[in-house]
Amino acid sequence: MSNNWNYIIRRILYLIPVLLGVCFLVFILFNVTAGDPVLMLLGKHGSPEQAAALREQLGLNQSWFMQYVDVVKSAFTFDFGRSWSTKQEISSMIAHGAIPSLTLSLPAFFLSTVTSILFALLVAFYRGKGIDLFIRVTCIAMMSISSLVYILVFQYLLAYKWGLFEISGYEFGFPNFIYYVLLPIIIWVILSLGPDIRFYRTLILDEIYQDYVRTARAKGLTEKKILFKHVLRNAMIPIVTYTVVQLPFLLLGALLLESFFSIPGLGGMTINALNSSDFPVLKAITILSAIAYIVFTLIQDIIYTIVDPRVKLQ
Amino acid sequence: MYKFGLSFVMAFMVLFTSCTKKQNFKEKVLQINVSAKVKGLDPVNAGDTYSSNEIARVYEGLLEYHYLKRPYELIPNLAEAMPTVSDDELTYTFKIKKGVMFHDNKCFPGGKGRELKAQDFVYSIKRMADLNNNSTGWWLLDGKIAGLNEWREKYNGKPANYDDKVEGLQALDDYTLQFKLTTKYPQFLYSLAMVYTFAVPREAVEMYGEEFLNNPVGTGAFMTGVYTQSNTIEYTKNPNYRDVRYPTEGSEADKKKGLLKYAGKKLPLVDKIKVNIITESSTSFLKFKNGEADFSAIPKDDFNEVVLPDKGITDAFAKRGISLEITPDLDITYIAFNHDDPLFKDNVKLRQAMNLAYNRVEANKLFYNNTAIQAQTIIPPGIGGYQEDYENPYHEYDLEKAKKLLAEAGYPEGKGLPTINYETTATTVSRQMSEFFSKSMKDIGINIKVNTNTWPQLTQKTKKRQAQMFGMAWLGDYPDGENFLQLLYGPNASPGPNGSNYNNAKFNSDFERMKNMQPGPKRAKLYAQLAQRVAEQAPLILGVHRTSYVLKHAWIKNYKFSTFNAGHAKYYDVDLEKKKEVFDSGILTKELETKTASN
Repeated sequence: MSNNWNYIIRRILYLIPVLLGVCFLVFILFNVTAGDPVLMLLGKHGSPEQAAALREQLGLNQSWFMQYVDVVKSAFTFDFGRSWSTKQEISSMIAHGAIPSLTLSLPAFFLSTVTSILFALLVAFYRGKGIDLFIRVTCIAMMSISSLVYILVFQYLLAYKWGLFEISGYEFGFPNFIYYVLLPIIIWVILSLGPDIRFYRTLILDEIYQDYVRTARAKGLTEKKILFKHVLRNAMIPIVTYTVVQLPFLLLGALLLESFFSIPGLGGMTINALNSSDFPVLKAITILSAIAYIVFTLIQDIIYTIVDPRVKLQ
Repeated sequence: MYKFGLSFVMAFMVLFTSCTKKQNFKEKVLQINVSAKVKGLDPVNAGDTYSSNEIARVYEGLLEYHYLKRPYELIPNLAEAMPTVSDDELTYTFKIKKGVMFHDNKCFPGGKGRELKAQDFVYSIKRMADLNNNSTGWWLLDGKIAGLNEWREKYNGKPANYDDKVEGLQALDDYTLQFKLTTKYPQFLYSLAMVYTFAVPREAVEMYGEEFLNNPVGTGAFMTGVYTQSNTIEYTKNPNYRDVRYPTEGSEADKKKGLLKYAGKKLPLVDKIKVNIITESSTSFLKFKNGEADFSAIPKDDFNEVVLPDKGITDAFAKRGISLEITPDLDITYIAFNHDDPLFKDNVKLRQAMNLAYNRVEANKLFYNNTAIQAQTIIPPGIGGYQEDYENPYHEYDLEKAKKLLAEAGYPEGKGLPTINYETTATTVSRQMSEFFSKSMKDIGINIKVNTNTWPQLTQKTKKRQAQMFGMAWLGDYPDGENFLQLLYGPNASPGPNGSNYNNAKFNSDFERMKNMQPGPKRAKLYAQLAQRVAEQAPLILGVHRTSYVLKHAWIKNYKFSTFNAGHAKYYDVDLEKKKEVFDSGILTKELETKTASN
């Protein structure tokens, strides 16, 4: 078995203690320090007797150890039970929420990353010239405007006034969902362009001043070739680090966009769970996010070996 | 390659950006926006208004409120008539309508809905009592039906046996249902118009198990498929709906508004309902302005764009055919003192001083666009116990009198009075309200520390009796003064609805006596006297009774506001010709000259 496989298996095995640790933190957060969720669930006419019965029913009267075991069990079986607030099955809530979130966040993230890298290459190519200055100033101007302004103005003008997009809503299934996610995707991309272009520009400029670029120039390579063939390739490691680490969070969607465009994603679900002390849902989201984070950092390591052959997994 | 890519992108943009969904002018589709998530469609979980309204499109109960009559009046729904009540007022016997069918569903043999029987109500009410179902509606029947509490306790911690008889809840035959109460409780009838007690078929509950909440099977005017937790719920007209007719009785005002034009017409009047869940008020309002929603509340920040100072509607909205309906809601807002705290418990003068120092007129302008009605007692207008000409002596803004009372309370100019903690939520409006309250109290020398909380934190503090002061609003569960007076009833203290933990023996005994009286002018007078007496003790800082401002499009017919609007969609109609005319004119998105309102 190659070193790579050894490494991957080892990293997967590391998941177990990490997950136990995550479960412990989740347990401390929600079972020990978060207060009594029963008071939220009782409704406005609750009585002490109902509170006691509900506590018993939800297993909140069990010993701390048994409550921790329950958290661990749910993390390893992916059976998170039912929501305390909505009574819906949590796995189905997550499945229903993940699709709208991902149909918005994945294309938006892909488009914003590709566009930002292209713009960053462009400004790096024309570094110090008028176009570089113009794009940098535009980026800062775009970042200075609150995301709410983009949402409200675009929704009003593009959707309501000009009727180019749906004002809000979501339909499951291709291609129906596209009608509803186009405008939020455009806003996401615009919101990301400012910070992302500046970030990637810095990465690329860091590379441009390296010795190997000077050598390439001395050898007479064109600036375009240096930029696209050598600089971009060497900048891939930080680019991969930056992008892959964001992927697990895409699952959680974009709370503001989901809320204003009425997209039934996981962002809204998480906020509802927070507002109703729906701990099983919050535990599930936390545990799944932790797992996704671990898995994506492993994927990140594997991608490193592809983009830079000097990197070996050991 | 480059050209191909560009063409592809352009084709994609043209295809999707120019093809937003078109309005349907062939079917009568009612478009409703709601502002919160729906938790599922099981009557026993009808704990919030939004879920209740959705459940009531599919399910029905024994009774309902008359669509047009005010004050609110209960009428039979699935019951054949109002019940016969025994002389001791403890036994209520209902006859159930014959021939009422459940929606077709695979839970029934052959997929055909069966007839509703009295046993279905026995089963449905037991479901609400079943501890395993954790229904937040249990308070309605807790201790009220003979043997039901015992049945509930018997199956605490184990699966309930629904065949086990309950003395006070029996089907005498397929069409006769009898309730035996443990004590006189005239409000009992209201509980039979509440969604918690609506009829569900046992077959569906047993077949779908925990997924029953997503597989609704009722007798209602509308039906829907599997509920998918999406932000859109679509209902279609129940083809087997029994012969239900639009009401023929209403007031002169109803007649003038054309609300009796449909008298005697078969219901429901629309083919479909599309409910969009939109939590952002600005988005919801845009959908309304665009004609994608038939009704809308007015977001606070858009109020002056829509409503004139004389409470008329601005030209821009009137030209779009939009009209405005203003109706007092059955609610009250208040600031609670925690009466567990000795500072407030026995210090009536301190409470009265704080009442007098609170500028409600200004608060009404700032937070309710001057639309709310000042609350002189805890009972809102529209129900027995409200007295229009009564003026609470501690309700007017009077700083001099407040300072005098504060001195008499032992704290001249607030000296010696510790800083009082006021708990609120972190929303912008709540924080603004808290700051306004704090400033009002500062004017007489009382220091208020505002603590912001998340909603669960605030609930914890109030339910655990840890909040010293906090703001609250109460929307009536049913149109009876008892539902408001009980907010001050000692045994209802936290975690019950009496969050202020006020406990006055005289009030408690008077309340117990009055709540069991039959409704009527005599009881209304006693309610009013009790509400006035307790208001003068200033157990709360009473705020306002809010008013509902609802906008509706020209194509919507028969809309009448109701606090208890569950199941009312069957009365609304959509005028398709009018709708097409409005859309074809393009007026909805046109810039129109606006005569803007100013405060």
